[in-house]
Amino acid sequence: MSRPAPPPRQLGLTLGVIAVLATMTLWSAHGIGFSVSELVCNAAGGSRLLRESWPPDFAFLPRLIGPFLETLHIALIGTVVGAIIAIPVAVLAARPVSPNWLTWIIDRNFMNILRTLPDLFWAMLFATAVGFGPLAGALALSVFSVAVISKLFSESVEAIDMHLPEAVRACGGSWLQMVGLGALPQVWPQYAAYVMYSFELNVRGSMVLGLVGAGGIGMILETQRANFEYERVTMIILSVLVVVLLIEQVSASVRRRLA
Amino acid sequence: MTDKPGTSEAMIRFRGAGVTYPNGVVGLEGIDLTIQRGEFVVIVGSSGAGKSTLLRSINGLTPLTAGEIEVAGVAVPRRQGRELRRLRARIGMVFQDFRLVRRLSVLSNVLIGRVAYVPTWRSVLNLWPRAEVELAMSALERVGIVDKAYVRAGQLSGGQQQRVGIARALAQAPEVILADEPVASLDPVTSHQVMEDLLRINRELGITTIVNLHFLDLARRYGQRIIGLQQGKVVYDGSGSEVTDEDFRRIYGRRPGEDDFLQEPAA
Repeated sequence: MSRPAPPPRQLGLTLGVIAVLATMTLWSAHGIGFSVSELVCNAAGGSRLLRESWPPDFAFLPRLIGPFLETLHIALIGTVVGAIIAIPVAVLAARPVSPNWLTWIIDRNFMNILRTLPDLFWAMLFATAVGFGPLAGALALSVFSVAVISKLFSESVEAIDMHLPEAVRACGGSWLQMVGLGALPQVWPQYAAYVMYSFELNVRGSMVLGLVGAGGIGMILETQRANFEYERVTMIILSVLVVVLLIEQVSASVRRRLA
Repeated sequence: MTDKPGTSEAMIRFRGAGVTYPNGVVGLEGIDLTIQRGEFVVIVGSSGAGKSTLLRSINGLTPLTAGEIEVAGVAVPRRQGRELRRLRARIGMVFQDFRLVRRLSVLSNVLIGRVAYVPTWRSVLNLWPRAEVELAMSALERVGIVDKAYVRAGQLSGGQQQRVGIARALAQAPEVILADEPVASLDPVTSHQVMEDLLRINRELGITTIVNLHFLDLARRYGQRIIGLQQGKVVYDGSGSEVTDEDFRRIYGRRPGEDDFLQEPAA
């Protein structure tokens, strides 16, 4: 039996892709006025900033506990509210279980809209409604969580074994019972994992929202930066790093156990 | 057996029943059958002959496109709705692939048989009334695996899982049990046990039972009545003790081979 000839290398294609990417990068750099020489010239300013930022102001640490708790509270409320609302949103957007085509299409588009708009936008929107502060942040993160969890979860629900829901139907179960007893029990572990993941995102998100006045650690970070208290800023950044890593570790280990 | 006093009334009646799938494939055609209350009927036929379609049309999982089926005098509705759910509640179904929620306990799975009798919120939150749990437990006792009530369904062997499937059907306190190839995923010994269970339940409780089988020896041994399907039509209808090899040849449209028997044919 003769050995097959190796397939032709697509050198032209590779070079073409590289050329397109390089052109796009240069074009973008030009567009935003990005230049390496300027970056080097400004390095002095950067190093001054770095010098002022060290050592971190450990004495500031106790004053971070309150804001940290507030950040966690915002993230937690956002996650819980979002996780609850995400269940029906995800189920109605999952083709095989969605009751009809119209519901499916409406819900799909609803999810797309939620996902397209950034959490910062929601924060602004809720801030005009309830005023700047933790509540606006929590509401914004609720919407954000619905967007994240419902997208992931509806894909899980679409992948379930539809034979089981049919068995519930065969016993005389209603649509709700079919979903609740035949469909969802197959995907609760994934759901829990998505909720944990969403909580991780929300902790980070609530810090960003704090920058625009939603309270918590982000707000402290912004006020200290505005006052040129760079040693405190470093302290805040370090502690944020520790907390985020901690939460990610816990979440990852829980998710591993669920899988 | 079918002429027990007071039981010779029609349980299921097909009148010109037919199913044509949306892709044009004919699943069933011109079925006229009457199955008496308390009968134990085995349906045979090669794959694609319409066995599953016939069973699934009885509880409306596959809606008819022609004719009608009556179960206990009630026409099977062609549309989803309360009426169809009520009818399905009276008809238990056992599947080839068991269809259990593997992550949930055996008891939770059997309780699914009670969905039609409890409020949705209670069933979905797994807050079953005590009486329902009692029914589920006694269904498990009847198939002899009540000791596994709190074990995860996925941890049981295939034969045990099928018993849970039967218990779920029993928990419905059904008038009819439909078993769609209930032993096709099981080994020979377990297959006989499951068939014995079905037969015993039929005798003890008088539940009309219809079983799809593709093994001829099982059909002959357990079928008090055998209905042969070929290309969606009834080509044989007679007692299991009288069915001949020639009948099987007609049903299958070929000489039955080794694959058509659970165990080596005795002859």
